Amino acid sequence: MADEPVGQGPIHLELRMGPQLTRPVPAEVTEALLSAQITTTAGERSGFQMAFDLTKKGAIVDRLLPEGFFDPRTRVIVTAVVKGTPIVLLDGLIVRHEVGASNQPGQTTLTVTGEDLTLLMDLEERTDRYPNLSPWQRVSRILAKYTDYGIEADVVKEKILQPPNAQRRVDYQTGTDLQYVTDLAQANGYVFYLIPGPVPGVSTAYWGPEKRIGTPQHALTVNMDVNSTVDQLTFAYDGTAREEPQARVQDPATRTATLLAQPDISPLRPPLGKRATPALKRKTLSGTAKKDRAQAEAEALARAATSADAISGSGSLDVSRHGYLLQPRQLVGVRGTGVTYDGEYFVKSVTHNLRPGSFQQNFTLTREGLIARSNVVRP
Amino acid sequence: MAEPQSYESALDAIPGSHPYPRSSRYHDAEIGVHTQPDGTPVRYVKRRLLPPISADPEDTATHTVSSGERPDHLGQRYFGDPAAWWRIADANPVLDPRELTAEPGEEIAIPGGFPGGGGGRHGR
Repeated sequence: MADEPVGQGPIHLELRMGPQLTRPVPAEVTEALLSAQITTTAGERSGFQMAFDLTKKGAIVDRLLPEGFFDPRTRVIVTAVVKGTPIVLLDGLIVRHEVGASNQPGQTTLTVTGEDLTLLMDLEERTDRYPNLSPWQRVSRILAKYTDYGIEADVVKEKILQPPNAQRRVDYQTGTDLQYVTDLAQANGYVFYLIPGPVPGVSTAYWGPEKRIGTPQHALTVNMDVNSTVDQLTFAYDGTAREEPQARVQDPATRTATLLAQPDISPLRPPLGKRATPALKRKTLSGTAKKDRAQAEAEALARAATSADAISGSGSLDVSRHGYLLQPRQLVGVRGTGVTYDGEYFVKSVTHNLRPGSFQQNFTLTREGLIARSNVVRP
Repeated sequence: MAEPQSYESALDAIPGSHPYPRSSRYHDAEIGVHTQPDGTPVRYVKRRLLPPISADPEDTATHTVSSGERPDHLGQRYFGDPAAWWRIADANPVLDPRELTAEPGEEIAIPGGFPGGGGGRHGR
């Protein structure tokens, strides 16, 4: 299974490119593809890099490159098919390309680098005011502008509702749409990212909490001889990662500043480990006295929740051996590392490394506590 | 544009909460909720309609059935997964999947493995 080149084995790859509407690329481009690397992270922008063989007098160097086929802002969609199930890995735009000409035959390459479609939101700086709109309304209004590229908005109302009042405060946007949306997400302990798919040309912009519940994906197995599916897996436990935020709010009438109670983070971070990490650091949030009580509460909650992930794991797997594609931003089970580090994890980021004949994935996992909660994981 | 969800209901629509895996033909089927007379909601999978059959000959490859073949053999051969036989059954509207391979020598359509076509062409 692993020896079969991509395109003939159970894993297929489809590449679509075009200015805004994409088409499957010509056969010359598919044949010239040397490698593709796609990184997807929860809460961050995804990126990709692809290398093509630049044969002398080939179609790419003679025709496609001068025609602008690989120009910046060309849209690229990569779909992988594992066992007949198509999964869109990337929907992005080319940002730059490099041509490395070499004296060695076969070493002349074209490297194309780009980012996912949220790049569109990061191109133009704008100032805008949003009177009487709560954060989720502002986000949906911003995202509605990007439906041209097939981006659908999936917005979740914030955990701590912040009813706006234009008499007291009007929120301004300075900077790009992406910065503003990401800042709003961070202020609420949310994440903003783009989910490509389910079909090429369509994607969902998600603004909401990290989805840390649900059916986990097929478990990653290490240290089990022939049953292992993961090549290597490293875990790190950072004791200083978790912070206890201290936020004070001022009552404008009496001018007394009260310390907010420690927020309960379990709605944003459902516990995945049995023994939660204690918070070693105490961090004072600045500027909360100027804010409304709900805003300060939301910020303290966001800070407590996002710093809670003290345990991180990283490793790599071979898709044809594992049999499934590991998807980021979902839960996955781990077995074979002992009771402390076994159990369920949130897949924070996945890097797909594709070459003809191989499909490797590097991943990072996180959770907030040690010890598996249950003694079984979904195989 | 989709309606914003409230925080409490957002986590109901979690990934993987669909009862069928991605490789299943029921993965894209809509989930309905039936309320029983006593008020208990029961989730059920709505009827799945067959996708329209592609008229473009580029999208499908043909396979000549030989004796002893079963739909799951074809699934393994063309998609790498014996459980993917339903894709072939979808492309040749048959009531019983066994009808697909009942007659040796018959030609059946193999759909392209992914949108845009090409997956079914690599028979060995």
